[in-house]
Amino acid sequence: MSTSTPPSPSTLQPSPPPAPPPRRWLRWVQPLLLLGPSGLWLVVLLVLPTLLILDLSFLPGLRPGAAPPDYGLGNYLQLLNKTYRDVIGRSLGFALITTTACLILGFPVSYWIALKSPKRWRVLLLIAFVLPLWTSSLLRAYAWVSILRPTGVLNSLLSFVHLPTQDWLYTEVAVGIGLSYSFLPYMVLILYASLEKLDLRLLEASADLGATPLQTFWKVTVPQTLPGIAAGSLLVFITSLGDFVVPELLGGASSTTMSRLIYNQFLRVRNWGLGAALSMLLILAVSIAIALLMKYGDRNATKA
Amino acid sequence: MTVRNVSRCFVRLAPTRLPGCMPEGHSIPMKHHYPQRSLGRSPRVVSTSRRRFLQASAAALSGLALSNCRRGISDVQTGSTSNNGTASAQPGTLHIYTWADYTDEGLAQLFTERTGIEVVIDIYDSNEVMLAKMQAGGGDAYSIIYPSDYMVEEMIELGMLSELDHSKLQGLDTLFPQWQNPSYDPGNAHSIPMSWGTTGLLYNTTQLEIEPEDWSDLWDYQDLLFRRMTLLDDMREVIGASLRSLGYSYNSTNPDEIEAAYQLLVDLKPAIASFQSFGWEDQLLSGDLALVMAYSVDAIAATLEDPSLIYVVPKSGSSLWTDTMVIPKSAPNPEAAYAWMNLFYEPQVSADVVSRLFFATPIQPAFELLPEDLQTNDDLFPPDEILAKCEGIAPVGEAIELYDRLWTELASA
Amino acid sequence: MKPVSQPPRRFPIPILGIITLIMFGFMYFPILVLAVFSFNASRYSARWEGFSLQWYGRLFNDGRILSALQDSITVATVAVALSAVLGTLMAVGLAKYKFPGKSLYRGVSYLPLIIPDIAIAVATLVFLATMAIPLSLWTIIAAHMVFCLAYIAVVVSSRLATLDPRLEEAALDLGATPVQAFLKILVPELMPAIISGCLLSFVLSMDDLLISSFTAGGGANPLPIEIFSRIRTGVKPDINALSVLLISTSALLAFLAEYVRYRGETRSQR
Repeated sequence: MSTSTPPSPSTLQPSPPPAPPPRRWLRWVQPLLLLGPSGLWLVVLLVLPTLLILDLSFLPGLRPGAAPPDYGLGNYLQLLNKTYRDVIGRSLGFALITTTACLILGFPVSYWIALKSPKRWRVLLLIAFVLPLWTSSLLRAYAWVSILRPTGVLNSLLSFVHLPTQDWLYTEVAVGIGLSYSFLPYMVLILYASLEKLDLRLLEASADLGATPLQTFWKVTVPQTLPGIAAGSLLVFITSLGDFVVPELLGGASSTTMSRLIYNQFLRVRNWGLGAALSMLLILAVSIAIALLMKYGDRNATKA
Repeated sequence: MTVRNVSRCFVRLAPTRLPGCMPEGHSIPMKHHYPQRSLGRSPRVVSTSRRRFLQASAAALSGLALSNCRRGISDVQTGSTSNNGTASAQPGTLHIYTWADYTDEGLAQLFTERTGIEVVIDIYDSNEVMLAKMQAGGGDAYSIIYPSDYMVEEMIELGMLSELDHSKLQGLDTLFPQWQNPSYDPGNAHSIPMSWGTTGLLYNTTQLEIEPEDWSDLWDYQDLLFRRMTLLDDMREVIGASLRSLGYSYNSTNPDEIEAAYQLLVDLKPAIASFQSFGWEDQLLSGDLALVMAYSVDAIAATLEDPSLIYVVPKSGSSLWTDTMVIPKSAPNPEAAYAWMNLFYEPQVSADVVSRLFFATPIQPAFELLPEDLQTNDDLFPPDEILAKCEGIAPVGEAIELYDRLWTELASA
Repeated sequence: MKPVSQPPRRFPIPILGIITLIMFGFMYFPILVLAVFSFNASRYSARWEGFSLQWYGRLFNDGRILSALQDSITVATVAVALSAVLGTLMAVGLAKYKFPGKSLYRGVSYLPLIIPDIAIAVATLVFLATMAIPLSLWTIIAAHMVFCLAYIAVVVSSRLATLDPRLEEAALDLGATPVQAFLKILVPELMPAIISGCLLSFVLSMDDLLISSFTAGGGANPLPIEIFSRIRTGVKPDINALSVLLISTSALLAFLAEYVRYRGETRSQR
């Protein structure tokens, strides 16, 4: 309605009927002004580039500076090699392990903050837990290098208490620790939002009816918070799948992941075709994860 | 990046439309109770045809863009656009793209004092990284680059380097004879040599009872060195060393030989902590690492700092490399680049830099000005019988794709 | 909330509390390590050799770091300022209008939050290269705007959903022009969300390594690239000093953002 109102600040009469035909185009001006610039930006700098990558991924072994090869599936076929299958498997493995670790470590924290901590401190505690996320991811990963290196902080502590020292830097263990560290706060944040709304009377009723705490946990708490668990897991899964910094700094020669491989294809080896195919595969993996969750989450929602 | 994802916590809740994860008081954005105005008069009727139209035109648009783009890729590569009008670099600034240890504050300050031109130095850690950056169009600001010999050849072939105007250069005739007419760039037409050196093994004697002498020792002692050694993050050097340990050339183009070298490296891979060309000093001195494969420049700096470190050029031979200065075609400030080159070729300036940064100089008068202990340092200026066994890295033509592929697979294994 | 009777006590409370405490330790341990090493006199970060402030002194005389910081701040400020306008307009537009292809539009606006950074970075690089656009500080800004505006739009959208649309209508009925109604009614109401969206995307932009790495050129060298390159070519402990300063600053920003968001939320709940 307002769109067709001619700008007449002097009239205090509530919206006189507009003169429609000559001003029809005005209906389009406002939405175009509101939605046009961002839309254009997203299309030009996100949608087109991604389509371009899709296009490149069908050019086997495309290199800048060389004549473009003919279209073909060469890049994708190359990804079927054992080496690349290993990389893809390793990336998925890291993502799964990180998700599991974050779930196991994060649930007690969210539970305690949401339900057991003094109420006035809750938000503050939550913010404090999430705070490290706001610092540079590079520097936090680098801090883990100082901790995990053979002569690092961890081993100094371990030998101080007469425990055997560990050689974890540049192994999968280091990457697992680093990833879990990086993404634990997301899990806590989302689980908190979901646990906060947990109906305490249900827990009480369950206890009154003679359920053990463990039964209460599995039969009441977990089903009630399942959407939160699913959302948190998805978030951690897709972000750790695409992470570059942690595997790069902590993984050494041992743990090439998809994102490291893509980075190297573009900024070192210059095989843009293969890099594009890997990039599409990564997007595909993330989309599948989201699609699974949407389906699962929706079904769960209708049940509840 | 990570912090970016924090927000996803708050924010992703919306798109996933999950019940139960929005904080109280937020409704899910999809269900606005904001009144929605319809644009079309009767959207249901109009929309199908309009949507089809939109789809068609979007497809046409993207198809057009894509086909343009594809043509674009093969044109872009040559260090991209022309040199004029790059808004990026001011005329009063010289942007340099170089290896980590070839320039320092002192040299940059001297240059600014002499010419009034500010110097900005960016660093890369392998020739391939530099080339990739230049080809991606990220190097338009640089007026001087420091590629190694084989990379000079490759860049000439790609048409990225401008021919040098020798009338603007001083001191080229003072080079040692072997750099007067190098094979990678006959007549120094596109590049001038600025440093040379070898690649070898640097180890910490307090950490290691053995004294490695050759590439093969890496394999023989891999239990002792297990995850306490690093190799260079440099495809040609690492595959080359492996080729050499099999008795082949650094520049082999024979697929069987390259495969064999690759297999050897795959065997060694579990024992390698990481591939890194720089930044190992701390770890080597503290004992995290026992041995690193290193360029002589960095190795010598480390041995001079701590005598428990020993640098060896492997017995069966190693690579003998020359690093150069070139002016890319896209250089916004070639005059400043010439000034920089001439400053560097002044014997005293060069000698001073060498005694701070420890690279071997190809400039004869600069060598003569060096302090005695550096002139006789066998790591810095190896005796001829060692050099005789070394070999320069050269482009391998089509075989580079095999190198690239195997290197990627080695990293991924 | 009315005092609900105590939750069942049988769940092992102390254990949960202890786990939480340990996890807090886990979150802050690496930051503590960086902080401690930043005061270390030793040149190598491995050994403790006494207290010193030398790395902070070095840091403030380090021209490269300072100019990298300046680049980063320029990128973040410009990208966030532009995105704040575009993102807010987009959120309002999406709330107001129905049009064919709207869900597609909305879907696209969520993409930057979902697609991994590396994929966005690579796509942008290839796109810029094929269009023969030379990389510079401006290409970084353009690329950062993509995710900044998406984040701001989503934060603003969720705030819009809680607003009472009758306010704006009343203003229009009283004869305000659409622009007046937008600026005087809607924008002030949305301000908390816009600010917290801006802070969020500012920090994201300051921390971005991948997208900057693939779009930087022309001598532009934002801080994460400089830090990454220093880590690769040998870290001197002044990086530790830098991280302590950065962490303190962004902690402050984070607190501010959370506070604004929290206040906005509680206000809207009343």
